[in-house]
Amino acid sequence: MSKHNELVDDLVAKLKRRQLVGSSTVSQATLKLLIVVISKNNWSTCNQLVTLVKSVGQRLVQANPTELAVGNIIRRVLHVIREEFREAESTASQNQSEVHSAPLTTSSSMYNLLGETGSTPNDNVQYPSSLRSNIIQEIREIKDELENIYDNIKNQASLQIHSNEIIMTIGRSKTVEEFLKMAAVKRKFQVLVAESAPSYSGQEMALELSKAGIETTVIPDSAVFAVMSRVNKVILGTHAVLANGGLVAISGTHMMAAAAKHHSIPVIVCTGLYKLSPLYPYDDDSFNVTFNPDSVLGFEEGDLIEKVTVTNPYYDYVSPEFVNLFITNQGGHPPSYLYRLIVENYDPNDHTFDL
Amino acid sequence: MTKAERRELQERQRAEKAARVSAGLPASGRRAAQVTAQPNSGFSPNPSKSLATSFPGAEAEKAIAAAESTGQAKRREKLTKENGLFAHLDPPKFANTASAPKDLHPAVVNVGLQMAQFKICGANARCVATLNAFRKTYLNPHISYLVTCRPMAVSMGNAIRYLKYEIGKNLELPDEDARALFVEKIDNFIRDRITMAEKVITSLGLQKIQDGDVILTYARSSVVQGLLLAAHAKGIKFKVIVVDSRPRFEGKQLLRALASAGVPCTYVLLTAIGHVMKEVSKVILGAHSLLSNGALYSRAGTAVVAMSAHERKIPVIVCCETYKFSDRVQLDSFVQNEIGNPDELVNDQHNNFGHSSVRYHDSVRGSTAAATGGSTTGGVLSGWRESRDLKLLNLLYDLTPSEFVTVVITEVGLIPCTSVPVILREFL
Repeated sequence: MSKHNELVDDLVAKLKRRQLVGSSTVSQATLKLLIVVISKNNWSTCNQLVTLVKSVGQRLVQANPTELAVGNIIRRVLHVIREEFREAESTASQNQSEVHSAPLTTSSSMYNLLGETGSTPNDNVQYPSSLRSNIIQEIREIKDELENIYDNIKNQASLQIHSNEIIMTIGRSKTVEEFLKMAAVKRKFQVLVAESAPSYSGQEMALELSKAGIETTVIPDSAVFAVMSRVNKVILGTHAVLANGGLVAISGTHMMAAAAKHHSIPVIVCTGLYKLSPLYPYDDDSFNVTFNPDSVLGFEEGDLIEKVTVTNPYYDYVSPEFVNLFITNQGGHPPSYLYRLIVENYDPNDHTFDL
Repeated sequence: MTKAERRELQERQRAEKAARVSAGLPASGRRAAQVTAQPNSGFSPNPSKSLATSFPGAEAEKAIAAAESTGQAKRREKLTKENGLFAHLDPPKFANTASAPKDLHPAVVNVGLQMAQFKICGANARCVATLNAFRKTYLNPHISYLVTCRPMAVSMGNAIRYLKYEIGKNLELPDEDARALFVEKIDNFIRDRITMAEKVITSLGLQKIQDGDVILTYARSSVVQGLLLAAHAKGIKFKVIVVDSRPRFEGKQLLRALASAGVPCTYVLLTAIGHVMKEVSKVILGAHSLLSNGALYSRAGTAVVAMSAHERKIPVIVCCETYKFSDRVQLDSFVQNEIGNPDELVNDQHNNFGHSSVRYHDSVRGSTAAATGGSTTGGVLSGWRESRDLKLLNLLYDLTPSEFVTVVITEVGLIPCTSVPVILREFL
């Protein structure tokens, strides 16, 4: 147990101090840590390994609760672990020529959903020796998937965008940027980018897109409703996707999605599956965080700042009825399909990391 | 410059180019200038020094003229950086005293410059300033000068129409009497339709504000400011959320006025509207104009606020004097609008404090390292004119559909916004 403590402490500190932010970087760092933890520690049963990973996970999630990607990766790994154990158990029991009803199940079958036998593997079974390396192998595959996340999303670009379209987006999202750049190779279209005050990340997005040769216009957030009637599609990036299909995205996304709904314009969200979280937003602000209000009303305003309250929420919650389509690295899905993705990738026992 | 002046300019340039070619100099104005070593005379109007922006240089003007003369509309569009969707609107104006006719009254020139630089801003303020300037002089040449400074506000247009009508009724009077009558009519208009109207609206609006209300307002409307201050003076206990937006940040003035009066205020930017709207009980907005199809024509961003409130079934109250009613009908924000100076969107020093603290979300990824370097020196977009595919759009007004507005408070009472044509027919 003490072999990996330093590494865990290191990552926890980075998360707490927000030296490591952004779903993609955080996920990769977490995966690296988990590979080390699993390979360097001794464990023999499923429960031991699950407890080990959960203890690490609990610490990481508590370090920065709004970085949902950390929890998602931990849950993916736990799911993989349980899967591997189940499979190993089934081959082991087949070798012992025992008729076991569980092995026919795969992760996505109804049988498993009902929580029948198979979810808690028998501790007395002899596992094949390749189990450890299998688990590590699966985790490395997740890592590869993460590193190549943009490729699968990009390739769907020309299927979604036709020529002479006007596309609107807000803020800066690497996924959307790659998506649009790929589409621009084959299609000619215009992009309107809302700058999203006070982070103004939309301005950088516009700069990058225009460097790629896409005709881009920067608009202030106040013009979003005004120009929406001429827009053909809204393409958004997001920080996280919640279990009900809702989004935690940069502030300003809610008003853009609502304006699009009013004008009946389709809203597409480009996201990797590592951003999909099995948590529900019981409150709009469950996953929101407020930043420095200086960029909203700064000290140069003088004594005005003593007399007023200033708020600078970084994220917006967008409810699922505003989203029409999710483009993920596993293809396009409507919001109603997300529950299946959650069941396939996460285990219901792992929604909280209580031990 | 109006379209007529631009055409004049291009004709002149075409003639110059023809002259150059016949004189044996290279056709391009730039090379001809190098050859003859003449300084480029500014045939782009030089903005007055107090303007922080500069017109796209003389170079661009020539290139634009060249592109136009050869009929390459697309290239011209890229060079002038105008957005194709708004090509039918006038480009942003830059006030200057050089091209103004010389016999203008200085008071009017003053007002024109102040409006062009947005020092006088807002329907009521512009109308009152214009009328005060007109006390001293004739109407027509000055009206066209003012339109060159900033497109005519609906309030100003209605006021001028009323004055012309009154003058027209009294053509037979001698000059002295006519002038005295004219000044009296101006005073009456300001008193009745603007000042008194605001008082009546305030008294009607006070009935709508109760203890415990959380009122949200957007940007700065003089009528709403008066109403909120009056409510506070009356002793009603309420909170105000002021929503503001780029690039003008007009809400800060309102915030100052309210905070100095002791009203508990919160200040947010427009992007946070989804976050703050849940604790709001009423939304009170001002108007630039109310159209005959019931739509609200007001500062860009008003539609976003009204839509967010409507989504949560929060009442939206608009305070508007009747002199701002217009018999125009408009369905979207494109057909009639005003385009502001796009350089205002480029981030300047002001926002760089918060800018760097928020950047760490991307700085770790390293992908925007170049951009962070750029932001500290003068804004990410400071080179936008050189970039071929990048444009900036600064819309000043937008249209809020009538279904988002619950009630309009005018000096003739509380009306639904669809009753605007009725008021226009019956009362005005």
